[in-house]
Amino acid sequence: MKRIFYILPVLLMALMSCEDKLDINTNPVQPVTTSANLMLPGIQGNMAYHIYSHARFSSYHSMYLTSRYGTRAIEDRWDYNQITRLGAWRWHYFDVGSNAIGLIDRAELENSANYMGVAKIMLGFSYLTATSSFGEMPVKEAYTGDFSPLYDTQEYVYEEVARLLDEGIADIERSGAEARTMNAASDLIYQGDLGKWVAFANGLKARMYLHTASFNNGYDNVLNHVNLALNNWRDPIYNYSSNPQRDWERNMWGPAKASPQWNFADVVNMLDNTVPTTFFMNYLIVNEPNIKRDPRVYKLMTPGKNNVYQGAVVSRGLEGKVMDDFPNLYNGYWTSDNSPLPYMLKEELLFIKAEAAFHKGDKGTAFEAYREGITTNMQRLNVPQDSLNNYMASPKVKKTAAELQISDIMTQKYIALYLQPEAWVDMRRYQYQATAYPGIEYPSNVLPEFAGRWIQRLPYDPQTEYIYNPQEVARLGATARDWVTKPMWVFENSSL
Amino acid sequence: MIKQIRYCLLWVVCFLLVHFQSAAQGTTVSGTVTATSDNSALPGVSVVVKGTSRGTATDPNGAYQIQASPEDVLVFRFIGMKPVERTVGDATTIDVALEDDAQSLGEVVVTALGIERDRRTLTYSIQNIQGEDLRSSNQANIVNSLQGQIAGAQISSSGGSPGLPSEIVLRGVSSLTGDNQPLIIVDGIRVSNASTNGTVNRLADFNPEDVDNITVLKGAAASALYGIDAASGAIIITTKKGKAGKMAINASVRSFVETVGRLPEQQKLYTSGFGGIYDPSTTSNWGRKFRSDELIYDNPSRFFQTGVVNDVNFNVNGGTENYNYYVSGNYRGGTATIPNTESERLSLLIKGSAKLSKKLELTTSANYIDNTIQEGLIGSGSGGWANSIYRYPLRYDIRNYQYPNGAPNYEYYYDNQTPDVAIDDVAIISPMWNVMRNPRNTQTRRIVLNGLLNYNPTEWLNVSYRLGQDYYNQDYGYVYIPGTPGSWEGRLYESKGNFVNTTSILNTTISKSFLNDFHATVILGTSQEYYEAQTNAISGERFQNPDIHSVNVIEPINIVTSEGNPRRRRYAAYGDFKLEYKNLVSLNYTGRNDWSSTLPRDNRSFYYSSYGASFAFSELLPSQSWYGKLRASYAQVGKDAPIYSTDANLIKYPGIGGGFVKDATAGNPNLKPETTTEKELGAEFRFFDSRLSIDATLYDAMSEDQIIRARVPLTTGYVIQTFNAGSIRNKGFEISIGGTPVQVGDFSWNVTLNTWKNKSRMLELPDQVRVFPYTFGQPYSSAIAASALDQPVLGIVGTDYLRNEDGYMVIGENGYPVINSADRQQYIGNREPKLNFGFLNRMNYKSLSLSFLWDFRFGGDVYNATRLGMISNGISEDVGQWRDREFVFNGVVDNGDGSYSKNTKTVVLDYNYFATNYTAVGTNFVERVNWARLRHVTLNYTLPSHLTSLAKVGKVGLELSAQNPLLFTNYSGGDPEVNSAGPNAGGAEGGSTMGVDFGAIPLAKSYSFGITVGF
Repeated sequence: MKRIFYILPVLLMALMSCEDKLDINTNPVQPVTTSANLMLPGIQGNMAYHIYSHARFSSYHSMYLTSRYGTRAIEDRWDYNQITRLGAWRWHYFDVGSNAIGLIDRAELENSANYMGVAKIMLGFSYLTATSSFGEMPVKEAYTGDFSPLYDTQEYVYEEVARLLDEGIADIERSGAEARTMNAASDLIYQGDLGKWVAFANGLKARMYLHTASFNNGYDNVLNHVNLALNNWRDPIYNYSSNPQRDWERNMWGPAKASPQWNFADVVNMLDNTVPTTFFMNYLIVNEPNIKRDPRVYKLMTPGKNNVYQGAVVSRGLEGKVMDDFPNLYNGYWTSDNSPLPYMLKEELLFIKAEAAFHKGDKGTAFEAYREGITTNMQRLNVPQDSLNNYMASPKVKKTAAELQISDIMTQKYIALYLQPEAWVDMRRYQYQATAYPGIEYPSNVLPEFAGRWIQRLPYDPQTEYIYNPQEVARLGATARDWVTKPMWVFENSSL
Repeated sequence: MIKQIRYCLLWVVCFLLVHFQSAAQGTTVSGTVTATSDNSALPGVSVVVKGTSRGTATDPNGAYQIQASPEDVLVFRFIGMKPVERTVGDATTIDVALEDDAQSLGEVVVTALGIERDRRTLTYSIQNIQGEDLRSSNQANIVNSLQGQIAGAQISSSGGSPGLPSEIVLRGVSSLTGDNQPLIIVDGIRVSNASTNGTVNRLADFNPEDVDNITVLKGAAASALYGIDAASGAIIITTKKGKAGKMAINASVRSFVETVGRLPEQQKLYTSGFGGIYDPSTTSNWGRKFRSDELIYDNPSRFFQTGVVNDVNFNVNGGTENYNYYVSGNYRGGTATIPNTESERLSLLIKGSAKLSKKLELTTSANYIDNTIQEGLIGSGSGGWANSIYRYPLRYDIRNYQYPNGAPNYEYYYDNQTPDVAIDDVAIISPMWNVMRNPRNTQTRRIVLNGLLNYNPTEWLNVSYRLGQDYYNQDYGYVYIPGTPGSWEGRLYESKGNFVNTTSILNTTISKSFLNDFHATVILGTSQEYYEAQTNAISGERFQNPDIHSVNVIEPINIVTSEGNPRRRRYAAYGDFKLEYKNLVSLNYTGRNDWSSTLPRDNRSFYYSSYGASFAFSELLPSQSWYGKLRASYAQVGKDAPIYSTDANLIKYPGIGGGFVKDATAGNPNLKPETTTEKELGAEFRFFDSRLSIDATLYDAMSEDQIIRARVPLTTGYVIQTFNAGSIRNKGFEISIGGTPVQVGDFSWNVTLNTWKNKSRMLELPDQVRVFPYTFGQPYSSAIAASALDQPVLGIVGTDYLRNEDGYMVIGENGYPVINSADRQQYIGNREPKLNFGFLNRMNYKSLSLSFLWDFRFGGDVYNATRLGMISNGISEDVGQWRDREFVFNGVVDNGDGSYSKNTKTVVLDYNYFATNYTAVGTNFVERVNWARLRHVTLNYTLPSHLTSLAKVGKVGLELSAQNPLLFTNYSGGDPEVNSAGPNAGGAEGGSTMGVDFGAIPLAKSYSFGITVGF
């Protein structure tokens, strides 16, 4: 029986040699890395979702839309104090940002400067989109693994966006034959046409420089970049499937209320319980003998049961009317399941040009760009030529450069950017002033504690930022119930 | 009966521990040991010369032989019976009859690795529950049947539907995320108690009738030998064995009637709509008052029904000296209080052991289980099962959900007029549509195999090898048939998984006495465990043929499939060294090294140890009528990481263009094991010849370097990460008092009173984190289940009113209370009870026996999110009572100069008040709950034998029983035993969601009648 005592140590030894059998902690059914061309489609699709995740809320704050109830916390009261999660934060830092950084790293390994450049432009675009809703956000200490990174000023975020766009352009320009092919399979936006990516980067710079132009004398810079962009422009548009079968192939604004990625329910559109505002619909009334309404209204939305195109006063609900008395917001040009989702439109560039030239005093250029912006938008929406002509001839459109006012440019841009988050940026740049947006009124059902202050931003994601980074969040003042009414750097400094 | 079943169990023990026939001294004494109850021979009774280690055991005929001198005292011991002492004197034959003794049950207990130990020398706290006490609770789920029977076990059921899981937590939550449930061992091998997809916890597969006894190892000390998963304690289940003698056949049939438990109350004043205006398009109940001509349906009571469950059991067992067998079968099936909810469990257990030689014994068992559950009410990750029932407008009849031809009967339908598309249409249909037409189904087929080879080469050495496998496949799925609002063209989800856990243990026990009064036990062993699951999930939408609900009629583009393959391997080497001096003092050291595949290479090996001592001070004193022992232990247990936490992966991008994107979960190559350190102090007393026994334990446990899998700041570039951070402390006491207050003639009354309290504290959270919310514990943001720093771990955080220094609510200028906006995550509740009592009573009078268990709970907050949702919806009873009434809030108004005056402003409690003020304040939904609950009451009557012998059966018993029949509580909602997300439902990130009521289905009250027959 003594043998037992020899057997035991032998068994223990045998155990030690089992070390290899313990090396089973890598998932056999999931990859750890892949090639650059397989990483770009996801980034581009996620960017469309990222834009939507801002627009879902900003379209109520920029007052295109109002809920039928008049009592919705976010849409009607601007009350973000009860939310569990704010998706847009994730769509920037994780879904777009983290994947873009992964692509940059991979492209570096592969020596594919083309992918690297496009990834940097996408990352810069994502930062710009995010900071326009959030203001201060971590840049320097983001993606370092730090659970409580410092928040950088919005000014610094803008510098970072500029740097990413510049580097992206430089990478594209140095990309040579050694780079991995970029084509229609890997680049859903430009099918690998790198020149168009450079133009888009310049377009983004024009958008960004316009934000700060009023206080840093930047209109020349804006115009310069608009022209660089327009020279080789093709609209960067994310196209959903023409006959979508699954939520992943559907535009989030569509009637299927696509919810491809599990999320807290309020990111799903509620256009079925939403009506257009009187504020917006008034811009679309022409009331001339040959043209009653802006022809775009029939493209942006579809008739309701009673074929009445009216709006509801912001935040007041239907006030006794029924849904059938309002147009149906679904199945418009931008709100079908198969609608495209624009990153940026040519008409935005034209209106940027018009606004910049206007503030420079160059009303001639402004006037040209203004009119071209309207026709570009009408043509995009497939407005019939005679309706377009009637509209352009109507008093809704200024006939001479001298008559042109800033409100003409801004209201036309507002109509053209229907459901885009950039419209909310414009509105905040002008601090909701009636000089830019005639007819604008402070909604009556907003939380009384906001004491008449307008909404300026979205809160950070309560599920992570307020938990892991309480000191920074407190330093910024973001714990206050009225944090959303605090103007961010770019709007606070706006002299418009 | 019970004592005979233990024959085999004891046989081995006696052989090992007592069978020390030392050199002959004096004369040979022989005799027979019988039981007083039926005069049957008792095999396996230990016969020891008092004060020595000399002893023997009776053979299968109850006979023994021992060498003893006239002055020696022989002690006869048998589990479950009162020990008897006889002085040898001149006698050469000593026949002894042993009496039953309920109090001494558990003298020998099964501890770690199936090792049986004399309770008196244990250095840590354990508790033993007899199969009979489990049985009389009449619960299908073994976890539920432990309610109130274990001091220190907090058990909470997720609700009264057969497919919902129950959670058991011993001595508080030790891990901030992940599973905090104890390790479950059946006959020495680990079995799964998972509740994948939020279905019933898998221990519910096992037939409670097969359980002989359950030993609960509560703390780290008791669990050091099980390692990793026993950081949260261990539940050791021993199944019945065949007993030597004539073949015995037992059968039973029981029928249960289940009725719905306590439901939340609704208002019956206002109909659906908004802002006081009737609106048929909504299920919101803020409309005008009901008109007198409108029908009002009491929908919850129209929804819930009476369920019927039948339970049939049989077992056949028998054997000889060299082999024994036990075969049992169980069918349990029936309906529930929820319509279209059915469960069916079939189980077959075959178990046998054979002596292959004098020194070698083989025991094997196979248990096949088929457990099928269909449930009408489907929850989400956060629970919410019955919300649709509680909120359905009372102007509609909930039973009115389809036309006779099966087509959906919409109460409201709005066609959004998109051509050819129904997808944007809005409809209201009774929640009964989903219940009746779209239930979820779970089917589990499971086989648990177990083999044990036991080798006793000499009397002091035992070598055993155990190999076991727990294998099950689980099919889970649901279908939304076409016509269901929101899923107009139908969709389905199916997941199929094979789960296998293989355990092998090689164990050596050396047990030897030396220097007369010393006894040493050394256990050395190694174990390995391999876990693997292969899972496939399919989801698809749009059935092209609306009558067939299969992926076969879904276009390939609308089908999404995925595959998972988690694997884990663990090795361990362990040792347990124990030294005893007489029965007075024992010292214990254990050490264990684990190697786990889930940790990075450099950190995957870790060693931890425990120390323990016990001191039976009563042995120093001459009196034999009482017994007293002190014990102390200090132990550490390490814990490994979740599978595949070290690397980040890419996942398929399901959108246009395909390719890959990052998985939301980051890798962490620096993970190290989590450690729990526990100190335990205990005392045991027995008085009045064991008619009163007290076992008290104090413990203090600290879990450090918590392995947390949580949502992390997105600025890291990931959504979820696993990391080491944080520490939790649990302190508490457990007292278990057993006694026989009355024993007069044929009447006896035995009681067990368990009392316990656990106090936890979140000592450290990662980085700057101050509040850690639980992913599935936040149905509304005004209050969420969370752990807050320096507060009890199972807390509730949320908003409160602004209060002045004296604690009065501050009322704003508008006359409504002001919400404290500075801190929206204040600590506002502790979900752990202040004090628990389980009071088990067993009374016997001749052929009648009565058993009942009272469960008292004091304190412990419940987050009533059900009520919050019902108020937001306008259907809560409170809304009916207060809506649109004028009210002056009892609070103070800030005068602006630091002083306050009493509020006098009258305001109207309108919709805006409820929606933006009342429901925005978490403290309004936190209730300190007490309850007194009769868990079960069971009355048994054994028919007189002259009657049964006529029918040629051995024994016939009749049983009347009720489960959960009485509940007294101050809770405003339904049944306060709630656990919204259940144990690890969907991988819940957070310690536990017990005490969160979110659409909970109340526990059923059920009544049963049964007949048992023995041949």
